[in-house]
Amino acid sequence: MSIRPIIEIRDLTKNYKGTDEPAIKSISLDIYPNEIFGLLGPNGAGKTTTISILCGLFPPTRGTVTIDGMDIHAHLPLIKQNIGVVPQDLALYPTLSALENLTFFGNMYGMRGEPLKERIQECLIEFGLDKVARKQINSYSGGMKRRVNLIAGLLHKPKVLFLDEPTVGIDVQSRIFILDYLNEINKSGTTIIYTSHYMEEAENLCTRVAIVDRGNIIALGNPNDLLKENPDLKNLENIFLHLTGKTLRD
Amino acid sequence: MFKFFAGFRKEALILLRDKAGLIILFIMPLILIVIMSLLQEVGYSSITRELNVEVLFIDNDQDTLGLKIGKGLRDSNFFSIIDSLDGKPLTENSLKEAVKKGDYLIGIVIPKGITGSIRDNVRLQVSKTLAGFGLFNPMLLNNIPVKAADTVTVYFDPTVKKTFKNAILSAIKEYHYKIETGMVFRTFNQEMARLFPTFQPPEQDYQELVQFKEVFPTYKPIEEIPNTAQHNVPSWTVFAMFFIIIPFTSSMMTEREEGSLFRLQCMPVSFMQLLMSKVFVYLIVCFIQTILMIFTGMYLLPLFNADPLVLGPRIITIIIVTIVIALAALGFGLMVGTIANTHQQAAAFGAVSIIIMAALGGLFVPIYLMSRMMQDIAALSPLNWALTAYYDIFLRGAGIIEVFPSILKLSLFFSISLIITFFYRTLKNPLNK
Repeated sequence: MSIRPIIEIRDLTKNYKGTDEPAIKSISLDIYPNEIFGLLGPNGAGKTTTISILCGLFPPTRGTVTIDGMDIHAHLPLIKQNIGVVPQDLALYPTLSALENLTFFGNMYGMRGEPLKERIQECLIEFGLDKVARKQINSYSGGMKRRVNLIAGLLHKPKVLFLDEPTVGIDVQSRIFILDYLNEINKSGTTIIYTSHYMEEAENLCTRVAIVDRGNIIALGNPNDLLKENPDLKNLENIFLHLTGKTLRD
Repeated sequence: MFKFFAGFRKEALILLRDKAGLIILFIMPLILIVIMSLLQEVGYSSITRELNVEVLFIDNDQDTLGLKIGKGLRDSNFFSIIDSLDGKPLTENSLKEAVKKGDYLIGIVIPKGITGSIRDNVRLQVSKTLAGFGLFNPMLLNNIPVKAADTVTVYFDPTVKKTFKNAILSAIKEYHYKIETGMVFRTFNQEMARLFPTFQPPEQDYQELVQFKEVFPTYKPIEEIPNTAQHNVPSWTVFAMFFIIIPFTSSMMTEREEGSLFRLQCMPVSFMQLLMSKVFVYLIVCFIQTILMIFTGMYLLPLFNADPLVLGPRIITIIIVTIVIALAALGFGLMVGTIANTHQQAAAFGAVSIIIMAALGGLFVPIYLMSRMMQDIAALSPLNWALTAYYDIFLRGAGIIEVFPSILKLSLFFSISLIITFFYRTLKNPLNK
């Protein structure tokens, strides 16, 4: 690819205080515009640490990250304006309605007034939540909460969307809906970086995946290419298990 | 500013929908203030209120001293006299036994002939004095029977506080001194009349020559000071205001533990801006809390037969001081909420530290009753600065200039708390200040 990467990661290392092993060890990686990039790995592999650094939650011990040509350390506020984050936890206020939650998070991205109202309404209709928009989040089902959680991360139409296991604990219908939606916004220009434990989901959704284990990238490429390189292993899950082993990690 | 107001709106909505939280924030302090004021009413108003402490009383004297002490106790409205138990007249043994069992707090035994004994001793003293002037035949002295001093025995339950015990003993001693002085006066007049037939004794009996007047100097006149409400309402208001750090830190920890803070940190908004919107909401809460507590002091406490709070002439000063105290409390809450790792840590440390600072600050025991060393330590407690400011306003009628030192200390405490919060946060998370 000769296109300029939207995310450039160089020599990224993170040591947590009080631990001997670095959580991530000198990772270098390019992610290109319009990719759906899957960051896969067992628990404790370093996925969440990598995503957290990319979102500007904390600095790396060593290395650099550039998003859309801007160094994360020097231009964090601007970068934050252009990225969306959908955490694994339902990062919502349970006693506020979906409308109130989304209005608040939209305001935090600097959106306000009529444009914000219209955008929220558009998302709520698209996600089938417009009828319950004024009900408190704590009255929602798991799938509905996940959908609001997702909307909160993409209200401002980010260039890059980070999703940390966005389909955990929801029914098949909600999962398919979310994955279809992600495909749709990807087609309209949003780069997606996504972590998941569902290998089949990643295999179908991602244009490229990185398998991370013990802080290192141990495989990188298009899921189909990885399967071609390992003809004996019939799917991504087998490749994953082949590379990371069957030993329990936590 | 727009994000600040968005944060304010969000925080206010969360608070308004938390019914249990609202009760804790607004109703509990009122219950606290009513209960503590009514409890402390005893200490402040002492014998002016009808408390009706039952006192076992045996009057074996049946003369002036015994009758005066009995009457004095009855008239005080503070005590009711019990002179028989189970239909039987009290004996010293039954009295002692009842106090020992804890059935009664106090038992007083006036010995037989104590008034006569005082009278005889007074006569002896007067005769001796007159003899010194050659006005009385000293030989007569030998004919006056001299009795050893009699003892009034007061039995106390061991649980009775020292201050209460001293008050009872002082009252009995006062009756004794009054009676003895009156007797000296009368005996002297009688002897003078006997020695000098032309001597005209005064028509009036002995009267106390010195009167006492209570004066409470204030910066600006305040009616009815100091009363129990003027002491209690400010002190428990300060306590409740600082206790706001429990729900305040809880709100911070919930945001962190539920993941909303994670999301917010990924957004283009500063951590301190978010915290300030939270502080502003709780500042309003503190203010409403204070207004409710003041109204409780003014209108609710009198319904329980307690003194009403008199607001005085310094309304603006009260408002300014209230805001500064609330900021100091919230600054401390910010610091605790930022440094604590868990809900439990924040709640436990917050509650215990407030109680310690309240105890040191003179909210439970007045500073003037503390040792010198403890008084020096008390001067370091923000709750003491807050209480001093309120006392200056409510009890001394102080204005903004007089309370400025307290305002300055509280403002500095708020600023230092903010600086510590900011630096701790920067240290932990240099990207999201």
